[in-house]
Order: sequence, then structure tokens, then C-alpha cells
Amino acid sequence: MRKTKRMHSFAAAGIVVLCGMLGRTVYADEEPVVLRVCSWEEYIDLGEWDAEEAIELENGAVIFGEKPLYEDFEEWYKETYGREVRVEYSCFGTNEDLYNQLNMGDTYDLVCPSEYMIMKLIAEDRLVPYSDHFYDTQDVHNYYIRNVSPYIQKTLESNEIDGVYWSDYAAGYMWGVTGVLYNPALVTEEEAATWEIFGNPKFSRQITLKDNVRDSYFAALGILKADELTDEALRCSDTYHDQLADIMNDVRPETIDQAQELLNQLMDNVYSLETDSGKADMITGKIVANYQWSGDAVYAMDQADEDGFELRFAVPKESTNLWFDGWVMLKNGIRGDADKQHAAEAFVNYLSRTDSAVRNMYYIGYTSSIAGNAQDDTIYEYLKWCYGVDGEEEILEYPVGYFFSGDNSDAHYILQSTVSQMGRQLYSQYPPQDVIDRAAIMRYFDADANKAINQMWINVRCFDIDDIPMGVWMALLAALMFAISMGFRKSRRR
Amino acid sequence: MNRFRFQRSQLCIPYGLFLVCFVLAPLVVIIYYAFTNGEGKPTLENLTGFFSSPNTIGTLAYSLGIAVSTTCACLLLAYPIAYILARSKMKHKSVILMIFVMPMWINFTLRITALKEILTVIEGNLAYHPFLNTLIGMTYDFLPFMILPIYTTLLKLDNSLLEASADLGADTVQTFLKVTFPLSVPGIISGIVMVFLPSMTNYVVLDMLYNSTYIMGSLIGAYFSAYDWHNGSMIALILLVIILLFTLFTNRYADEDAGSSRGGVLGS
Repeated sequence: MRKTKRMHSFAAAGIVVLCGMLGRTVYADEEPVVLRVCSWEEYIDLGEWDAEEAIELENGAVIFGEKPLYEDFEEWYKETYGREVRVEYSCFGTNEDLYNQLNMGDTYDLVCPSEYMIMKLIAEDRLVPYSDHFYDTQDVHNYYIRNVSPYIQKTLESNEIDGVYWSDYAAGYMWGVTGVLYNPALVTEEEAATWEIFGNPKFSRQITLKDNVRDSYFAALGILKADELTDEALRCSDTYHDQLADIMNDVRPETIDQAQELLNQLMDNVYSLETDSGKADMITGKIVANYQWSGDAVYAMDQADEDGFELRFAVPKESTNLWFDGWVMLKNGIRGDADKQHAAEAFVNYLSRTDSAVRNMYYIGYTSSIAGNAQDDTIYEYLKWCYGVDGEEEILEYPVGYFFSGDNSDAHYILQSTVSQMGRQLYSQYPPQDVIDRAAIMRYFDADANKAINQMWINVRCFDIDDIPMGVWMALLAALMFAISMGFRKSRRR
Repeated sequence: MNRFRFQRSQLCIPYGLFLVCFVLAPLVVIIYYAFTNGEGKPTLENLTGFFSSPNTIGTLAYSLGIAVSTTCACLLLAYPIAYILARSKMKHKSVILMIFVMPMWINFTLRITALKEILTVIEGNLAYHPFLNTLIGMTYDFLPFMILPIYTTLLKLDNSLLEASADLGADTVQTFLKVTFPLSVPGIISGIVMVFLPSMTNYVVLDMLYNSTYIMGSLIGAYFSAYDWHNGSMIALILLVIILLFTLFTNRYADEDAGSSRGGVLGS
């Protein structure tokens, strides 16, 4: 998840954790396993749903969040494995914050950073690989490997750093793409479906970029390399995906320089940079389009719908950033403790139950990496519950097989939705195949490149001393002279 | 064996501990990081880098620009109000003063959010005047900190001095310039200290009012989130030195001008 600070939820989670800890009885005969989990703020269902919020699905499943998921996990673990476990759940604000926290000596057993931070942690040899048992589909309690979407698992298995595949160290949690949230009354889909909208003078000072270097750099690359990216020859090439990934991870010094120049221009065209305020500003009409992550776009569209106001989401035609967050176990937390690792893997498995995934999706608004399986179609039923047809609206056949079974022509996973869902919530949560095709993962950059793009971003954000108008310099000079002469007069009087 | 004997100076121990743990120790850490590089070797590169890069100098200039204009705006707004309030013969002065100070009771992010909406109504699009908006936001935020010390100093002003001035033939303008104003300088100084310093680093106001330009506070944050603790610490240290120099300067100025009169936070 890319949201930043949400202090209230953090406080709420803190209170919940605290209360949970106070109200617990510790059995003297067996020390409970303590599992220290650190994740994004507002990134797990905290329960306390109203009774009418219960989701009744057609397959008979009733989804209801009474207590926080990690407390339900503690009960489930005790029932299933006969062992006490205590979850100490805390939150972090950004990937960089988490990394700094780890460097300052905070120890956690299980954390949920984004893909590039996972790469960094793998490269620095800080992670514990999942056990072989975790991938054993025969064990009914191995919910993760039984339920994970083939699309996500394939992505994890096909990406590596230093010859190590991500799937050995990371279990997918939430995922999404980036794009442009726009107001269809003022912006056409064609205008929104390109990164060039941020430089479009028609929307001068009415669009926002993201306030972080990686997202802004991705948009800049999308504009700089637009011709290359939309070239049919590239699209049809056998190695399209590899080439796409290389283009969108270009950190050569000259590319960074071009990006800096471009971002400087964009800064004169956009309304501002934001991380969280963009959603509200779209709804109040301060801006007409903003750079958005699919999950937050869903949230904003839901909010706008309640106000009787339509927002839509477009994915740029050049390329989009496929991101995901995953659970990884830390070496300095687990410390070879088999009980702890077992509890950590069980925690991931518990969150990967289809009912937990639905609870999380309902609560957070992001898309879970969990798809279910042939026996358990709860996730797909939830999708139908959210976006299935009602009334006699025009029917849209929306294939989501790529996510659920790995085959997009799978007749079982063609959702009967409405035409009005195109470019809306369904489209954002489970983007269609053509969007998935042009999605690129932004990797972790090595230390030098990382330093260079961070410096580039600082350069873009800093005030240029040459921008001070001549008049201000003159005024300053005059003020200085005045001050000196005053001081002089005073000391002479004495 | 020595019996434990309580001494008054022992009451300082809690604060001393606090000082060591939360002021001194972090300062040592900051200094360590500021003068080392990524490999932990001592270096002055961070310092020279700060003063040779147009970006960091630009940020310093921008922060100073915001701080100076906020302080001037606060002073220009606060002095007349404090003066009128302190000199008036009204019965319920404290009630009126309370109205001026009341915004302080409300969380400042909430106030800035409200201000954002008001400014949007007035300006239409906030993106065109980022500096002006920041100035308004900061002034709104810090105005009470300027009013209060000036008001307190003016309230304590001995009326007989003004009468003496009038008896000696000075008109009201002369009395103000020669008596009232010089005697209120300590209040002004402490007001300036309380407004100038926080407005150099309070980047929350900029963020909330859509000013994407970095000031010193946000620049430090940017270096830290880029895992560059060394440059971040150096900027924090430079800021600290600036603040220290500023405080020393204002303290001295207050001492010189105030003479024996009391008032103000640092003036006495």
C-alpha cells in the first residue's frame, strides 16, 4: 500500500494492541510464542463491523469482522496447533521509514514492505526463506499456496535479484497498478490514459503528481519514452516484457538528467504533489485529475459515488507500474527459532484464507493477492457480490481468468458485470488483460542509482536561488545597509 | 557510612537526566553523523557540499524568506492590536485577548485545513501563489505567539512614564516613539523568537497548502528517507547553528535595549 500516515488508525491499532495485551492471561506452564508483526497503517481488518455489514455470498459463506484479524489468528493458532501465540502488531508509514527503523535496531519477525524494499532486503541478506512445508499444497492449513493467485505467484517466481527468486522469500499480500484518476465531466478518457496528462497545458494547475520519487520518476519515464513504449514493433516482440521492464527501470545518468528537466517543467504545470490529499481534492473539485494507485482510486470512486458524483480511473497507454506488498520474515527477528517461524508462516497462511482476504479487501479497498481455488470460490463470489449485474443494464463480459486460474479465456471466470464498470472500481481492482500486459515492475536500484534519483528529486523540489527576482536582492541589500548604518550610529552615540 | 542528605540541588537530577538522554545524546549522534561519510570515516564533505550546492543554499534562502516575511507580517498585525488592547480602558480586556488567542486552542492542522478552503474560495486556485499562501498560513498559525508577549510588556508599562513624557511637552507620537516603543522591545524580541524559529522549519503548513518547495525541515526529511543520514544530520546541525546565532543576537539586542525593564521570555 502506498498510503502515508494515517495517525488515527495508527492510534486505534495501538490501543487495540494494548488492550489486547492487557486482557490476556499468560499461562505459566507454556510460554506463548511472541510474533512481532509490522505492517502499513490501516492495512488489516480491525473488525468491529456493524451487524448489517455482514457479507452473505452466494456460495453460502458469510463474511463478518468482529475482532481484529490478528486476534482471530491467535485463537485459530491455539485451536489448530495447540500452542499459545501472541501477536504484537505495529505499523510503519513508508518503506523508507521501515528500513530506517530496522537499521536503528527495531526487531520484527514479519513485515510487509513493497516489492522494491523486499528486493533490497533480499539483496542485503536480511530475510529468512519460507520453509518447504509452506509450499506443500497437501496440507489443508497451507492457505497461502493453495489460494494465491497464479498470476501473482508467477510474477514472484519470475523475478529475481542476485539469482534469488522473490517467491522464496515473499508471500504476496495486496497488489495493484498506477494510473490516473479523473473527473469524466472535464477530462476525456483519451486525455487521461497517458502520462502526458501531467504536462498537458489544458489542465494547467489542475492535476496532481505523487509526492515520492519512484512514482514521479515512473511517470517521467512514461513521458520521455512514450514513442518507444507505444511502438507496435515493441508490443509484438517476443521479449516485450523484458524490454518493457528495462525501459521502465532505466537509471542511466543521462536519463535521470532528462527526467529532472522534465519534472521541473511538470512542476510548473501541476497543482501540487500529494500523497493522501488528492482523493479529497478530486471530490471537492480542486483538481480534475490525479496520479493514483488503483486501491486509493477505488476508495475515491466509492466516496464520490456516495456524493452522487462520478470519478473514473484510466491506466496510461504507455505503461503502468505493477506493485505489490508481501510478507517477509526477518533474520534478526526469527533468529533461527523454529516455533517463531512456524507462527510467522501460520500468520501468513491465516491472512491468506479466503474469508480473511475478503475481510481485508472490504476494509482496506486494495486487491488481495489471494484468488481461492477450485473448491473455495469465495473471492470470485465476492467479486460477483461487488460488481455482478443488477437490473437490466447492458451486460459486460469481463474476463478475470488471468488472476483466478492463470488462463484469461477460462469460461468459469468471465464476470457478468455492467458496461458502466469499465474504467471504474472493477477495472481498477482487477485490471483487464491489456493493462496487465503493459505493466512493469519498478525494481530496487543499486546504491549509486538510488542516490542519483534521490538527489534528482531533491533538486526538483528545492528552491532555485536564481529564481529570486532582482528586486528582492536590491531590497535585501538596502535593508542590510540600513541595519549597518543604524548599528554604526548607535555605537557612536555611546 | 554516609547518611543520605537531601539537598535542593538534587531536584535538578530528573531534568538533568532528561537533558542528557533527549538533548545531549541526540546532539552527539547528530554531530557524529554530520561529520562522517557512508563508510564511517570523518569528513567535511557534508559541510562543504551544503554551501556549494545551489539547491541547499536556495532552500536556506527560501526558508529564511518565509521566516522573515512571516515574522514581519506577524509583527505588523500584532503590534497595533496589542497596543490598542493594552492601552484601552476597557473593562473586559482579557475577554478580547482570549478571542485573539482562542485559535491556539484548536489543533493547527485543522485550522490550516479550514484556511485552505477559505483561500480556495478567495483565490480560486491555490497553485498560483504558493509563497503567499504559505505566508498567510504561517501568519495565521503564529500570530498569537506575537500578540501575547507584546501585550504583556505593554500592559506592564508604567503609566507615570507616559505622563512624565507628556508633562515634558512630548505629543502622543513622540511619546510613542521615544517611550512606549523602546520599552516594548523585549516583548517584540521574544515574539520574534517565538515566530521566526518555528516558521523556518514548519513544513506541515507548506504541505497542507500545496507548496511543494522544500524548506529546511522537509529537506532534512528528504535526506533521511533517502537513507542519507549524514547530509540530513549536517543540515540539522547547520539549522541548529543558525538558530543559536539568532538567539544569541536577539538576546544581546534585548539586553542592550531593555536596560533594566523586565518582560519577554529571553529579555530579562
